[in-house]
Amino acid sequence: MLMEVMDIGYQHMLLIYGLLLIPLCICYVLKIAVIKEFFTAVVRMSVQLALVALYLGFIFRINSLWVNLLWILFMICIADASILRSSGLRLSRFFPVLFAGIAVGTLLVVGVLVFLAVRPEPLYDARYLIPVTGMVLGNCLRANVISLERFYATIRKNEKEFLTYLLMGATLSEAILPYLREALKAALAPTITTMATLGLVSLPGMMTGQILGGSDPAVAIKYQIAIMIAIFTATVITAAINIGFSLRTSFNRYQVLDKSIFAG
Amino acid sequence: MIKFDNVTVRKKNHILLAGVSFEACRGEKICFCGKSGSGKTTLLTTIVGAHIPAAGTVCFKNRPLSSKNILSVRQSVSYIGQEPVLGAHRVLDALMLPFTYRANKHSTPPSERINGVLEQLHLDAAILDKETNVISGGEKQRVAIARALLLGKTVFIADEITAGLDAQSKNAVLGLFRDAACTIVSVSHDPAWFGLCSRFYFLDRGRIVSVSDTPGAVIKTS
Repeated sequence: MLMEVMDIGYQHMLLIYGLLLIPLCICYVLKIAVIKEFFTAVVRMSVQLALVALYLGFIFRINSLWVNLLWILFMICIADASILRSSGLRLSRFFPVLFAGIAVGTLLVVGVLVFLAVRPEPLYDARYLIPVTGMVLGNCLRANVISLERFYATIRKNEKEFLTYLLMGATLSEAILPYLREALKAALAPTITTMATLGLVSLPGMMTGQILGGSDPAVAIKYQIAIMIAIFTATVITAAINIGFSLRTSFNRYQVLDKSIFAG
Repeated sequence: MIKFDNVTVRKKNHILLAGVSFEACRGEKICFCGKSGSGKTTLLTTIVGAHIPAAGTVCFKNRPLSSKNILSVRQSVSYIGQEPVLGAHRVLDALMLPFTYRANKHSTPPSERINGVLEQLHLDAAILDKETNVISGGEKQRVAIARALLLGKTVFIADEITAGLDAQSKNAVLGLFRDAACTIVSVSHDPAWFGLCSRFYFLDRGRIVSVSDTPGAVIKTS
C-alpha cells in the first residue's frame, strides 16, 4: 500500500501561514503582549526548518559514512551545550564529561536500532541514521536537562542533609543515591507518560509522518515502538551516565559539593 | 586525637577561621564558646571535612586530613548538629539510616539496644513508628543523639546539642555523655553542658581569643 507523498504547493503554504492571522487577531484584540515574540518564533521556525531541509538534502545526497558521523558529532556537541546552558552548570567544566555520556548512550541505542534491527543498505544510510539519532538526541536532551538540574539543585538546596549522610559514614555514592533517584525519576516521567498515552492522546510525529509518506500503518507502528524504546533506553543511560561522569568534577576532595560548578 | 595547627578557612573573600590551633586529646571534653558568626560551627564541621582549610593542618589521630582518610575519619566520628537532619520519614528509619551504609552495616543494633538508648534519653518506644515531621524539636534532637550513640563511636562533635531540650531531657543527655569514656569537641552556651567539659575556648571573628579551664574565666577574659 505505497502511495506518493502529496506535496504542498507554495501558494498553499501561504494559505497555511494565513491561518496565523487568527491567533494574531486574538492576541491583538485581547492586547496579549506576545506579538513580537510570535513573529520572531514563526520566522525562526521557518528559517531553521528551511535550513534543515537544505542540509538534510545535502547529507542524504552525499550519504557518506564520515559525513554522517561528523554530523552526529556536531549534533551531540549542540545537545551537550544546550543541556549545560539549560541546567545552569558551567560549560567549561562539564562539556567533555557530558559529551562522553551522551555519545555512549545515544550511539549504543542508535547502533542497535539502525545497524542491528532496521539494517538499511548501506548500514550508515543517512535517511535512517540521521533522523533516528536526531529523535533520540532531542529526547535525551530534555531528560538530561531535568536530571542534571534536579540532581545538583537538590543537593545544593539540601546541603545540610547531604553532609549529614556523609558524616554518618556514607560514601559519596551512598550519599548521592536519594538525589540520583529523585533526579532520574523526574527525568523519566515525561517519557513514561508519553509512552503510556501514545496512540490514545496523541499520534506520534514519526508514525504520522510515515503514514502521510505512504507507509503501511503496521510498519509505521513498528518503527514508532522501536523509536520509543530507543528513546527511553537512551534517556535512562545518558541521564545516569552523565550524573555518574560529572561527580568527579562536581565534588571536592572531601566529597562536598563544589559550588563553582554552577554558572552565574 | 583531634588537632588544629594554624587552620584558616575562607569562603570566597570572607575569613571564617583565622589561624586556629588547638588539640583535643583522647578522652578530653572541650567546648568552644563565642558570639553568632564567630566561626564555632565552621570549626566543628572542618574537623569532619566540610571545609578544606586554605592554610594549616587538621589532624585526626596524628594523621592530616586528606582525601585518602576522610571517609575513615567520618566513620570514626559522630557528628550531632545544631538543627538535626533526620533524613527519613519515620523515626525508626532515621535511626537505622546510618546502618544502611556499608561502613556501619556490620554494627546494626538489635532492637533491645535501640529501646535501651531511647529509654536513656527519655524517649518512648512508640516514637519509632512516628513520622519525623510530627515530632517536636526536642524529640528530633534526642533522636539525632540516639542515632549518634547507636553508632557506638567514641569521638563526638556536638554543636549546641542541649539547646531546645527540656530540663529532664537535658539531664538525661548530660548524664549519658558525662559517664561515657569518649572524646568530645563541642560548641555550647549552656552552663549545664559546661559542667561536662574540662577546657574552654572563646572564639571571636574566627580566632581563638582566650583559653581556660573554667567557662567563667574564658567568657570574662573575652
